[in-house]
Amino acid sequence: MAGLKEQTNEMFVYFSELMAKPVIDKNGELAGELYDIIVKPTAVYPQSSHLIVRKGFPNRKYGVVDWLDIKGIDSKELTLSIEQSKIVFKEKHNNKEELTLRRDILDQQVVDTYNHKVIRVNDIHLLEVDHCLMTAHVDISLKGLIRRLGFEKIVDLIVGIFNRNAPYLKTEHLISWKHIQPLSINPVSMTIKVDLSHKQLNTIPAADLGEIFLDLNPAHQIALFKSLDIQARAKIFMSIEFKAQKSLVEELDPKEAADVLNAVPSDEATDFLEKLPKETVDKYLNLLESKQAKKLSQLLGYSSESAGGLMTAEYIAFPKDTTVESALKQIKERTFKVEPAQLVYIVDENNHLISSTNFRRLIIASPQDPIQTAAFPKTFFVHINSSVKEIAYLMDKYKYFAIPVVDENNVLQGIITVDDVLNQVISIAWRRLKKIKAKSA
Amino acid sequence: MRRKLKKYWREFLIFLSIMGPGIITANVDNDAGGITTYSVAGAHFGYSLIWSFIPIIIALVIIQEMCSRMAVVTGKGLADLIREEFGVKVTFYAMVILIFSNLFNTISEFAGIAASAELFGISKYILVPLCAAAIWWLIVKGTYKSVEKVFLFACLFYVSYIISGFISKPDWGEVARASVKPQFQFDKVYLLMLMGVIGTTIAPWMQFYQQASVVEKNIKLKNYKYSRLDVIVGAFVVNIVAIFIVIVCANTLFRNGIRIETAKDAALALRPLAGNYCFYLFAFGLLNASIFSACILPLSTAYSVCEGMGWEVGVNRRFRQAPQFYTLYTAIIIIGAVVILLPGVKLIPIMLISQATNGILLPFVLIFMLLLVNNKRLMGKYTNSKIYNIFTVITIIAMIGLSLALLLATFIK
Repeated sequence: MAGLKEQTNEMFVYFSELMAKPVIDKNGELAGELYDIIVKPTAVYPQSSHLIVRKGFPNRKYGVVDWLDIKGIDSKELTLSIEQSKIVFKEKHNNKEELTLRRDILDQQVVDTYNHKVIRVNDIHLLEVDHCLMTAHVDISLKGLIRRLGFEKIVDLIVGIFNRNAPYLKTEHLISWKHIQPLSINPVSMTIKVDLSHKQLNTIPAADLGEIFLDLNPAHQIALFKSLDIQARAKIFMSIEFKAQKSLVEELDPKEAADVLNAVPSDEATDFLEKLPKETVDKYLNLLESKQAKKLSQLLGYSSESAGGLMTAEYIAFPKDTTVESALKQIKERTFKVEPAQLVYIVDENNHLISSTNFRRLIIASPQDPIQTAAFPKTFFVHINSSVKEIAYLMDKYKYFAIPVVDENNVLQGIITVDDVLNQVISIAWRRLKKIKAKSA
Repeated sequence: MRRKLKKYWREFLIFLSIMGPGIITANVDNDAGGITTYSVAGAHFGYSLIWSFIPIIIALVIIQEMCSRMAVVTGKGLADLIREEFGVKVTFYAMVILIFSNLFNTISEFAGIAASAELFGISKYILVPLCAAAIWWLIVKGTYKSVEKVFLFACLFYVSYIISGFISKPDWGEVARASVKPQFQFDKVYLLMLMGVIGTTIAPWMQFYQQASVVEKNIKLKNYKYSRLDVIVGAFVVNIVAIFIVIVCANTLFRNGIRIETAKDAALALRPLAGNYCFYLFAFGLLNASIFSACILPLSTAYSVCEGMGWEVGVNRRFRQAPQFYTLYTAIIIIGAVVILLPGVKLIPIMLISQATNGILLPFVLIFMLLLVNNKRLMGKYTNSKIYNIFTVITIIAMIGLSLALLLATFIK
């Protein structure tokens, strides 16, 4: 059993152990030293595709060798199956768009999508399969750092003398490549080099994704943002503060910025736009889809502490003669930017609010009946100029998660969800608390 | 006309929001060690060293401007860039030396606090721990923004030196002549002093600190010109203050043939010559400068080291999230404060070690900077121009030469 384990260990190698290893050609002559490895990031674990050999000092030259021309790798050296005269050495290796281990991964910052953090790579753990190297893990531990410095054996020995079971010796701090999102930027397309679809960036909760985003430097922020799909972009946009939103939007071209504003819920978009100068707002409104633009410019007219300023224009409403069955079908088919609280509003042909119901009542109602039969006996609503306090009071009293907003003609304008009210109430409470504190101090 | 005024006003407001890193970094340069050097220079050589501040301003602008530019273009700190471009080994050793150099610098800042405590007649066993606690608390509880405001406020107090300069009623014509006309004395002591004055101006921690704080401020490329102005203003302000320190000491101590060893001696000697106001202003300036620098040095060290080693950087994080950062930061403050309170500690060897480590590290840092700032992949079209590079190389060679000469001289002496 012990023998087998050793054998499997043998097949793993750290990139730091390969770096600067001599490269020997077919005739046993020294061609140079291993400088970098180009990998193909197509599979889950990127495979080595080319070797970059470096020779000469101080006038360094770099040659690129196909991985197929490598005969073997052992603990001492790399042997090639070609003659060194076949390698073209140049002042620079021009593989800017490829992903390479030394330039793009080692010592660089990457996103750990499992622990939701930005980390710096101390070493790379490679798996050798039939002469081919697969990028298996990255090492971010102190041990990796010490290995790079060349003190691994000494430090291991010293730590071992004091405590043979020290966590430093026992735990390996390797993170699987499948959770690693490199951030190196392709200089041509200005986006992230590695396809993001495998990397579970989408599984990261919005708040964490926003925090990761803020941890990056501006160039990486923009590149990452541009590499993401529109849902993830909206998610990031919503989870960062106004200042960060503003500097992000300034870096995007106006069309891209408008796309983001289209994709976020209208209350988030208004929160952002109302803090900008008027000309800028008009510029974005012109670029938005006309429906969204209309919605936003209307919302922008309301004070942020009134119902009109708090509400979102995303709600579910059906005409009163819709059947329960068709209402349920439409609910299933529609996609929402945010999940509107599970309330459904019933309106007449002019969008006047009649009553409301919820998903549960719809499900238990008989499918062929008109939707009106599933309605709550009474529907509460607020006026577009109602204050936050009134809304909070109503929501608390009737335990609503969302409340509809109507204008003076009883036309449904939008809904307010409990989290929007909570935000406002909390900030009012804070202000009050500060005042009390200031007084008592 | 009004539109033009409005435009200038707007630009001025933008500058106010962007200034900070350059001015703060430059001002920390006038720390306890710097004030001592300038006081001694003024007391021993009168106005004859003032001319050297003009090349110092140029050198300071050239070097610090590159840091600012790298920060704005790459959005990364200097330690980050060194790690990413030159690997972990180089970074590690550079950081080890940086820790030592900054630690000894911090000790000498606490020595400055202790000296000014004595000038004000307060026990140093009260003032030093009090200041150490306040410094620690400021960073742990503060945010980058609030801390920067405190620092900028501290910069204002350097005015005390300018006021004391006016109180000493110098002959301005003579000052003006001395500042434009280089006068060499081929005397060993004079040359040593000259090296000391120039050598204290550019220290390795400054480049790390300035770049990190520009990154932290998230300054945009389109606002870069304001950031450059920040550097230039900083370089001028700091050297004007330094010139005033020289003037005060030249005008009083030099004229009366009084020899001094430290900034404390200078303040004490000023009392009978220039009066109580001048004495208190001088002493207060020393206290302010020492506290200010004792804040920045540990912070800058912890920042650079964590950046380079890939550990979480604090200020806006809690202890559990950034243990290395807080440990390093706390340790430097505690060691700095404790060492100075130990009975029988000699200051001169501490200052020598700090100077020596600075001298060893500076050439590497400047060469790394030159390579980084000219790296097309990082800097794009914002690399140095040819002429700028010539100036930079001359400055770097001069700085390296001076700091090595100073290093040799201090050890031979």
